[in-house]
Amino acid sequence: MSSRRASIPWPAVLRRLVVAAASLALVAALVFVTFEWLADPAALRLGRGASQEAREALRAAMGLDRSFGTRLLEHVVRAMTFDFGVSQVRGGPAGPLMLQALGPTLAYALPGWLLGTAAAVFGGLAAARRRRADRALLALSTAVISTSSVIVVVLAQHVLAHRLGWFPVLGWPLAGGASPLAYVMLPALVWALLQWGPDVRHYRAVFERELAAPHLDGLRGRGVPERRVERHVLRAAVGPIVARIGQRLSHVVVGSVVIEELFNISGLGALLVAAIHEADAALVQAIAVATAAVTIAGQALCDGVVWLVDPRVRRRDVA
Amino acid sequence: MRSGLGRAGRLALFGLGGFAVLAVGAAAGLWAQAWDVPVGRPYMSPGTDAWLGTDALGYDLLAQVVQGARVSLVAGVGGAVGAVAVGGALGAWAGLRGGWTDRLLSGATDAFAAVPPVVALLAMALALGPGVATVVVAIAATQWTGVFRAARAEGQRLRAADFYRAAQAMGAGTLHQIGWHVIPALRPVLLSALVVLFAHAVKVEALLAYLGASAPELPSWGKLLARSGSELARGVWWPTLAASAPLALLVLCAQVLADRSGRRPD
Repeated sequence: MSSRRASIPWPAVLRRLVVAAASLALVAALVFVTFEWLADPAALRLGRGASQEAREALRAAMGLDRSFGTRLLEHVVRAMTFDFGVSQVRGGPAGPLMLQALGPTLAYALPGWLLGTAAAVFGGLAAARRRRADRALLALSTAVISTSSVIVVVLAQHVLAHRLGWFPVLGWPLAGGASPLAYVMLPALVWALLQWGPDVRHYRAVFERELAAPHLDGLRGRGVPERRVERHVLRAAVGPIVARIGQRLSHVVVGSVVIEELFNISGLGALLVAAIHEADAALVQAIAVATAAVTIAGQALCDGVVWLVDPRVRRRDVA
Repeated sequence: MRSGLGRAGRLALFGLGGFAVLAVGAAAGLWAQAWDVPVGRPYMSPGTDAWLGTDALGYDLLAQVVQGARVSLVAGVGGAVGAVAVGGALGAWAGLRGGWTDRLLSGATDAFAAVPPVVALLAMALALGPGVATVVVAIAATQWTGVFRAARAEGQRLRAADFYRAAQAMGAGTLHQIGWHVIPALRPVLLSALVVLFAHAVKVEALLAYLGASAPELPSWGKLLARSGSELARGVWWPTLAASAPLALLVLCAQVLADRSGRRPD
């Protein structure tokens, strides 16, 4: 391990920034084109019975009579500065509406994400090391992956909440007899289980590869205790683990449409479904661009963490 | 590849074939035709009259489940093939060309991958209107980025391979290169992606059907599931079972097959 501090690779950072900006622009443009293709905002606002003249007048007032390219450009630039405009359906700026819904989503998704990740990392390590654990964990993971999230949520709600009564069935705005924590627990557990299924396989593959690394035999040959060898394994596996965690981060922000629907949580996933059904362009744009931004930022953050932890990446021994 | 499947893999392949037979027979009108007419009282429990019971309108659940296999299989196969075709072609192109082609395509793919899949799925479902074609396009459009990365890596490996450069130096035409070198090199990666994406696509179809964006004219497992949640609370358990068991079984078959076929014979 060299203690030499490598300098920050500025060209790579710069390239990432350019790609990030381009990605955001593309996301904004995609949403804009989708909604443009879908329906005329003026017609949507006036409803079916509106006359042609009224629609033309509103189009002019909304600035829709300008050329497509101009509007696209203006729209993308505004979205990139996180100015999403006013939600026509809900009457209010889209940004705050979205932030309001983020709280409930994070309340269950964040604990679920942490729990699922921890369980998957340790499950993956156990599966890679012990044959019997491997069989059991893989079978469970296959069962979880094979079951649609809809089924998992319905069954969990029915069995754990309805039948056994371990949790309150559902209840959001956080009120009522039970403590707020109780309402969050079951959605968080379901989230953790759904995430655990595919993740444990991923981590198992990572650890399997790391445990077969020749330098571990060298360590054992010199009489390094198994606990310390484990630390070497964990450290070498940081890259793939962090990359996976980063991928999951974007899911945490959108939340789960199914969980929010079935537990009646007014979070971002539920808001997204509602906004899409109501053709609320500003709100969809806000959610899409913001989540894309979080995805990109999370990815960059993870790369940064790996760069800090893994000296091989710093010295460019591995890509 | 077939020989390396093992017993579980062959069983899974057999299961997928069984689903295909069910779906084709249902589509051809051989069986399960009585799915949109009442056959008995509402909420009849499973018995000799209706093997899986009846739903809220007295419709036969077994017939609906068998008909539902059609939508699931078409969405699964169509979505997976679409995603693999688009991702594989673009990825191989980027990997083999390198340079600016690679940079542009990779950048565009990263940008696409940054769109949360839920957002893209629902937006496309809305834009194209509900239907099986929508589901296929939406699945293909959101899932191709993963295939792109795998195919690109394989293409880069091929570009550096000696035999490929020798073929190029000897003046092999584009078609010959694709047929003799590119497709064989990509086949293992693309085949395993195909099976994995099939399993995923079946689940996505159920989710979209649950949210009301799948085929409106045919019964589908996701739609059955959407109704069954509230019935379960009243003690009517068979609609939930009828909808979830075949869905889980189909995905399980694909999943086992993916595991077995992805395994290298070492």
